[in-house]
Amino acid sequence: MAQMKFKTLAAAAFVALAANAAHAQKAEVIHWWTSGGESAAVKTLADAYNQAGGTWVDAAVAGADNARAAAINRIAGGNPPTAAQFNTSKQYHDVIDEGLLNDIDPVAAKEGWDKILPKPIIDSIKIKGHYYAVPVNIHNPTWFWYSKSALAKAGVAAEPKTVDEFFAALDKLKAAGLVPLALGGQSWQEWITFYSFVLHVGGRDAYLKFFRDHDVASVNSEPFRKAMTALRKLHGYVDAGSPGRNWNDATAMVISGKAGFQIMGDWAKGEFGAAGQTAGKEFGCFAGFGPSAPYMVAGDVFVFPKTTNKAQIDAQHKLATVFTSPATQVAFNNKKGSIPIRTDVDTGKMDVCAQAGVAAMKDASRQIANPDMLMTPDMVGAVQDVITKFWNSNQSVDDVVKALQGAIKG
Amino acid sequence: MNTATTPMPTAASPADSNPPRSRHATRPKRSMFSPARIGLYALLISAAAFFLVPLYVMITTSLKPMVEIRLGNLFALPTHATAVAWVDAWSSACTGLDCNGIQVGFWNSVKIVLPSTVLSIFFGALNGYALSFWRVRWAGVIFGVLMFGAFVPYQVTLYPLVRIFSAAGMFGTLPCIVLVHTIFGMPVMTLLFRNYYASVPGELFKAARIDGGGFWRIFFQLMLPMSLPIIAVAVIMQLTNIWNDFLLGLVFAGRENLPMTVQLNNVINTTTGERLYNVNMAATLLTSLVPLVVYLVSGRWFVRGIAAGAVKG
Amino acid sequence: MAISSSRHRPGRARPWRALTAQIALLPMALTALGIYIGTVLWSMRISVSSSRIFPRDDFVGLSQYQRLFETERWHVSVQNLAVFGVLFVAACLVLGLLLAVLLDQHVRGEGVLRTVFLYPYAVSFVATGLVWQWMLNPELGIQSTVRALGFPDFKFDWIVQQDRVIYTIVIAAVWQASGVVMAVLLAGLRGVDESLWHAARVDGVPRWRYYLSIVLPQLGPAIGTSFVLLAVGVVKVFDVVVAMTQGGPGNASEVPAKFIMDNLFGRANVGLASAASTVMLLTVLALLTPWWYARAVQAKKARHA
Repeated sequence: MAQMKFKTLAAAAFVALAANAAHAQKAEVIHWWTSGGESAAVKTLADAYNQAGGTWVDAAVAGADNARAAAINRIAGGNPPTAAQFNTSKQYHDVIDEGLLNDIDPVAAKEGWDKILPKPIIDSIKIKGHYYAVPVNIHNPTWFWYSKSALAKAGVAAEPKTVDEFFAALDKLKAAGLVPLALGGQSWQEWITFYSFVLHVGGRDAYLKFFRDHDVASVNSEPFRKAMTALRKLHGYVDAGSPGRNWNDATAMVISGKAGFQIMGDWAKGEFGAAGQTAGKEFGCFAGFGPSAPYMVAGDVFVFPKTTNKAQIDAQHKLATVFTSPATQVAFNNKKGSIPIRTDVDTGKMDVCAQAGVAAMKDASRQIANPDMLMTPDMVGAVQDVITKFWNSNQSVDDVVKALQGAIKG
Repeated sequence: MNTATTPMPTAASPADSNPPRSRHATRPKRSMFSPARIGLYALLISAAAFFLVPLYVMITTSLKPMVEIRLGNLFALPTHATAVAWVDAWSSACTGLDCNGIQVGFWNSVKIVLPSTVLSIFFGALNGYALSFWRVRWAGVIFGVLMFGAFVPYQVTLYPLVRIFSAAGMFGTLPCIVLVHTIFGMPVMTLLFRNYYASVPGELFKAARIDGGGFWRIFFQLMLPMSLPIIAVAVIMQLTNIWNDFLLGLVFAGRENLPMTVQLNNVINTTTGERLYNVNMAATLLTSLVPLVVYLVSGRWFVRGIAAGAVKG
Repeated sequence: MAISSSRHRPGRARPWRALTAQIALLPMALTALGIYIGTVLWSMRISVSSSRIFPRDDFVGLSQYQRLFETERWHVSVQNLAVFGVLFVAACLVLGLLLAVLLDQHVRGEGVLRTVFLYPYAVSFVATGLVWQWMLNPELGIQSTVRALGFPDFKFDWIVQQDRVIYTIVIAAVWQASGVVMAVLLAGLRGVDESLWHAARVDGVPRWRYYLSIVLPQLGPAIGTSFVLLAVGVVKVFDVVVAMTQGGPGNASEVPAKFIMDNLFGRANVGLASAASTVMLLTVLALLTPWWYARAVQAKKARHA
């Protein structure tokens, strides 16, 4: 079988790499963090690893798809990196199925990951009882950002605590001549808006039934339809120039006070920071409606391509250990804008949004996994196609319900 | 047509793009301001304007600070022009852990582009020459297959190529990427030269054969020197394609040979990082300088009537 | 790719000379058969498997193709390709020819002008595509600028209209590619003997008719080259769509190459991507076959004449 031949070839190539392993645990790491802020964040990881006695060799490739393609092709070509970045998701499950990843059970056992990591993360990195990926952060892709000056100008007194208050605020912004919601009309941004509304408008149950259980009947249920109707209504609050816009251009509208709200991940703080704004001063943030709103969990992990080379395996274990140590977690996440994977760390230096995030994570009932963790990339894509069509057309809620049912059936 | 003692017909030496004065002397002086000339320049200048507008936006964006860019005014001139973005792009933009700008891969790109361009043009010319003037029974069919191959989306061929090169033990090396570029350039290069040679008069070749020229001699001493205009086009195309290639270089070149486009991609294409549009534009313009210089220089090869001139006589 | 029938075929070469030619053509044969045919066959094999992120050896019949034809996004992308293809090729040929002829008139600054027309080809589309997106965005670019100049009803928002966005892709793509067509045609024009113009002038033929009736037919091969180059560009169009619209709004500017790429890498769906690629190639094959056949018939006629 080609699969067998492939594995043998791969294994043979990796053994042949043994000769090259002289350097003190040289670790070649593929990742996609290339902007200025992200570079500073990677530096904390690299410094920590180097201080622990290893040598970090950087292999950055911008664009998540590009980086994953590079990693996959390197694995296929018999020249794998020591570690490769993926999202906390199902993206690497296929690679595991092919037997092409090393597990890091020794590190997980030693560091007690079962006890300190939140459940959604564990579910995503522990497959068939073995740990295959090391998480480095928790991102929430569905934060609500708002410009304080824009809201003040429109007469919105306080952060919306319910969906109705949110729409009321949008109405006030529209009346004041501002753009109520800054959205970049790209498929992935529409996708984020969609699942944020399924969660925050449709409710936790509707969300899980759709994304985790792929329950076809639930799509036609009352809460889900309510979310889709709200989504349809939301479209009226974006400006005409929205299609195709980059997410940072939408954030720029909020930064300059031209727009009121943006629904985007916590990486948006990088843009606010680059423009010299501070959380809580010029802009505000909330993770959902109300103090016990569910907190969406996403993030980045590193996986370890299969190798039998002892020095490489040591390097992989060292990486996993270093990445999850409390000191590295704080340093890395402060720079990255995300929050640490463990709650037993010092949050003093974090901005107010991050602190709110950590507080939310302490409450296990608020944690909820993002769609990438619950669906294969293929199904994610299929749903994305349906949603982008719904968002950009006049399709009725009935029709989109049917289309969504078709997408999750597959 | 002379026979016997004449040496191989030589090509006219490459003149510069302005034809010699003697040609102008034979026709009445054209007035610079005749309606036809004015119309001609008007057309050319309006076409140039259409082509230049995006460049204008790119340059002004690269000279503006981000504060100004966020305000939107796309066509406005910079109020506080600064060249900081250019310096950053070249030497200090972050491309991962390292923040050394795009200059890091410059020599790698050169190392990749030079042999790849030379090899792919050589094979294109050789194939075009053999196809046009020599009778090889299976050549037509193979050429057809090659042209079909030009339409294959190369991303789909990535995986089998990776396995082939890996099995050959050369995956991730400089020869690997050069060979990959030669392979993917072959259809278009062959087409260019084959069609060019199709309009070369057959008498030329026949005369050379009668003079005792063999396959290689005719190729190197007659056909290649005559092909300067099409070589100019081929260089323009191949150099640009290879210089701007990203995916093939990323996969096949190996970490020590990563071309400049990988750093360029790292500067421009962050997924969730902040985007500095002025640096992005500056980096893109810097990267495009090499092909641009080649375009300017290739002008002297767009000469007139070499083939025609050689036949007369 | 017409070969003018006046091309002179060499006499039968002595066997060892033809052997040299055969050996010289071996790399071409190897590439065509070994690499191109080989990888196409491989991808066809994968298209009947359930391959996800890595190729798999199983066999699932035509289910990937079935899924492909049920995918609306694929149908949109094929339709877009047809519209884009016709407009792009026609516009590039016309514009390229026009520019080449204009530049052939002994103009001052020909070198500079030629570089101006060619530079779009040199600059990476990742950045220029973004610039086009900004320029065509109604809030940011041309529409808002013209409106600010005092024409409040001016509308140019094709890029956010689903039924018009493909035309914006055509505009940007023509901007990028006509320079190369111009270069190919200019090289061809420079191969035309100047004495023909002198003879025509003596006969009182105006310059434009000279170009139309005398020069144009001689440009046959160059136009053929340009056409094939453009056709290849059409089938592979990818960068401009990703940079300008990301296939949006919705899926309105989706193209096959982007569909294939997304499924190959982003969605870890190698089987579906291979099926799409095979369908594309079979279509190309279907379009090429009549032409091949006509050429073979013509060659046979020439041999038996």
